[in-house]
Amino acid sequence: MLSRTAENLYWTSRYIERADSIARLLEVAYRINLIPNTSRTQNEWTSILETSGIKDEYILHYKENFKKDKIENFLIFDEKNGSSIFECIRKARSNIKMVRTAVTLEVWNAVNSTFHDIEKFSEKKYSSRDLPGIIDFVKSRVNLIRGTIQNTQLIDDTFDFLSIGTYVERADFTARIIDVKYFILLPSSNYVGSQIDNFQWTLMLRSVSAYRGFKQTYGNNGVNHMNIIEFLILDMTCPRSLMFSLDKINSHLTNLKKIYKKNSKAEEEISLIVKKFKKLSAKKILNIGLHEFLLEFIRKLYSVNSNLQNNYFFGKEK
Amino acid sequence: MFNEVYEKRRIRSVYSPVINWAKSLPESTILKRKSEAENLFKKIGITFSVYNNYDTSERLIPFDMFPRILSKTEWKKIQSGVVQRSMALNAFLNDIYNDGEIIKAKVVPADLIYKNPAYEIKMVGFKVPKKIYSPIIGTDIIREDKRNFKVLEDNCRTPSGVSYMIENREIMMRMFPELFQSLKIEPVENYPEILLNTLKSLTPKNCSKNRNIVILTPGPLNSAYYEHSFLADMMGVELVQGSDLYVDQGITYMKTTRGREKVDIIYRRIDDNFIDPITFDRNSCIGVPGLFDSYKSGNVNICSAPGSGIADDKAIYTYMPEIIKFYLGEEPILENIKTWRCSEKKDLEYVVKNLKNLVVKEVHGSGGYGMLIGSHATNKQISHFKTKIKNNPSNYIAQPIISLSSVPIFNKKSLSPRHVDLRPFCLVGSNSVNLVNGALTRVALKEGSLVVNSSQGGGVKDTWVMTE
Repeated sequence: MLSRTAENLYWTSRYIERADSIARLLEVAYRINLIPNTSRTQNEWTSILETSGIKDEYILHYKENFKKDKIENFLIFDEKNGSSIFECIRKARSNIKMVRTAVTLEVWNAVNSTFHDIEKFSEKKYSSRDLPGIIDFVKSRVNLIRGTIQNTQLIDDTFDFLSIGTYVERADFTARIIDVKYFILLPSSNYVGSQIDNFQWTLMLRSVSAYRGFKQTYGNNGVNHMNIIEFLILDMTCPRSLMFSLDKINSHLTNLKKIYKKNSKAEEEISLIVKKFKKLSAKKILNIGLHEFLLEFIRKLYSVNSNLQNNYFFGKEK
Repeated sequence: MFNEVYEKRRIRSVYSPVINWAKSLPESTILKRKSEAENLFKKIGITFSVYNNYDTSERLIPFDMFPRILSKTEWKKIQSGVVQRSMALNAFLNDIYNDGEIIKAKVVPADLIYKNPAYEIKMVGFKVPKKIYSPIIGTDIIREDKRNFKVLEDNCRTPSGVSYMIENREIMMRMFPELFQSLKIEPVENYPEILLNTLKSLTPKNCSKNRNIVILTPGPLNSAYYEHSFLADMMGVELVQGSDLYVDQGITYMKTTRGREKVDIIYRRIDDNFIDPITFDRNSCIGVPGLFDSYKSGNVNICSAPGSGIADDKAIYTYMPEIIKFYLGEEPILENIKTWRCSEKKDLEYVVKNLKNLVVKEVHGSGGYGMLIGSHATNKQISHFKTKIKNNPSNYIAQPIISLSSVPIFNKKSLSPRHVDLRPFCLVGSNSVNLVNGALTRVALKEGSLVVNSSQGGGVKDTWVMTE
């Protein structure tokens, strides 16, 4: 496979996953908006920008003008925001267009038609009323694209690069979501056990679509910070947890090692991280310090990522 | 003007089943199928990019569902004529870059070759693999009347459009399967396979055991990018950009996830100038530094060979009948269109006087840009062109305003005739010359218009060669 092909596949998946993540964040924000408490609402909108890592970009273009409509527009349509839903889908499509020959016609169709169909939600006609429609559209299309990849692609290196892109993006995003709100998961939090705490925790779970899953796992009375940390970081059954993504990245990098009959630094690193994760517990994480732990995690993931590029995307080795 | 459907007001037999079918379609069905076809094109992503100063946006090529039909007899003549031309063109290229017999024999003037900007001095004396310079030739043909098909121009560099030939058929078969069940239409789907075999036969001197073939594209912004990826897909070869290749010690490699892999044969869809920034245009970002040296060392083949463009130069075109006779000892099967060379004094005088009735083309132009159609031009445009021609006569040729034949399209409510041309694709390998039984028909969608280029409002049609 061409190195560029691998890179394009990887980024296609990352952008699709990112579009999905932004849609989920918007869904949560939309919910908050329906609950009357303006001061908190304002905070939520800024923290969404923080979570998606685009607060600085926003300030660059719109100063500290954190208005709901502006932010909504920034997250959905804005060309100036490289991570707006429209931009993510456009980039996913232009990446996959470069490597059309590597994916099945079904996968191409799924991405291409998403790109064409999203145009029906135009910026000019947009009002907040349309938000749920857009969110549903993005979520269902992302699932369609994932489904066609699962059902029609050969399970070969193409599939591995597509998958790695998805899980690197997801692990990164989940880690950021937790980190932006890490203080609400600390035992020292002033509000432990209070209404507000419950509300915040629920939001966090919802923003990674893990609310129902959490309830199923821990029941109604299990909502506390230890369980949430356990669930979002270490639980193998939760498809949004860090552990789940790490395990996937590990197994796809191992596949690549087998297919290419060549060791890779990225694989060595990720398998070390997975080993360490398996020995962790929520308590140990809190001992390290949640924020410190997450920063270290993001740093390590970044290192895996750059080794992945060195191993496969430059392609000059003999 | 020849309407291909009729002969003395009676419907010609090749068209009669389709005319009956088309007339029996209710208007609602036509509209429905039209939008279905458009959606299919969009879904598959068959688009082309348009260059202008503002954006490089994607457009759908307009597709008309009424097929262009050729009888077996008509096709056989076209086929043998195109094969003949393609062989002559390759013999010509081989000659002018080596011994120059045709110049010594004074059949073609030396200046026309050696002073031609398309003559690539760096190719002189180089032995091209298997002596094939241009393995893929697209010949533009027009029909004058019932008997006469004439060649408008040859395309020896990187002719495009073959993906439309194949996709138009796919879409027609999907929408009107009943037609293909009841009529006997030659298939065209074997084109990619023949192309692959053709390329495979053109091995360079130092070639790996498993010949590694790639298509080199300028990238997704190129107007024919869809075609590049389509052909790569259908042949099962990699579609590479310049940045995917590099040259190390004279050997061309592509960068892969396994490391580097040697490349043996490149079907390039980028222009000569951009192939290699060291040898050609220094500003090229889409080429591969050192590729030309790798080519000349016999480590890789570049198809078509750099410098092939001179053979489809419009000034050379005028000598095609002589070129065919010189190399093959045969009379041309397909005639040229009467052409005046402005480089010759007598012709120039005639052209300047008769601009209103002529089509003037730049010798090195393509895509319908930089040409004047006298009958459709304003007085101002004509006098402007007159100056241009007088200032640089050898840059222009002129032809009579030919009337392209017409075939109906599905217009709003009825069938109405529009002008068409025909582009078959000839594949020249080391031991065989092939044409699939089909071609691309381009159609000028505007009433009365003669410009069929997709960049200027032309559309396409499925082209049927009947088996009997």
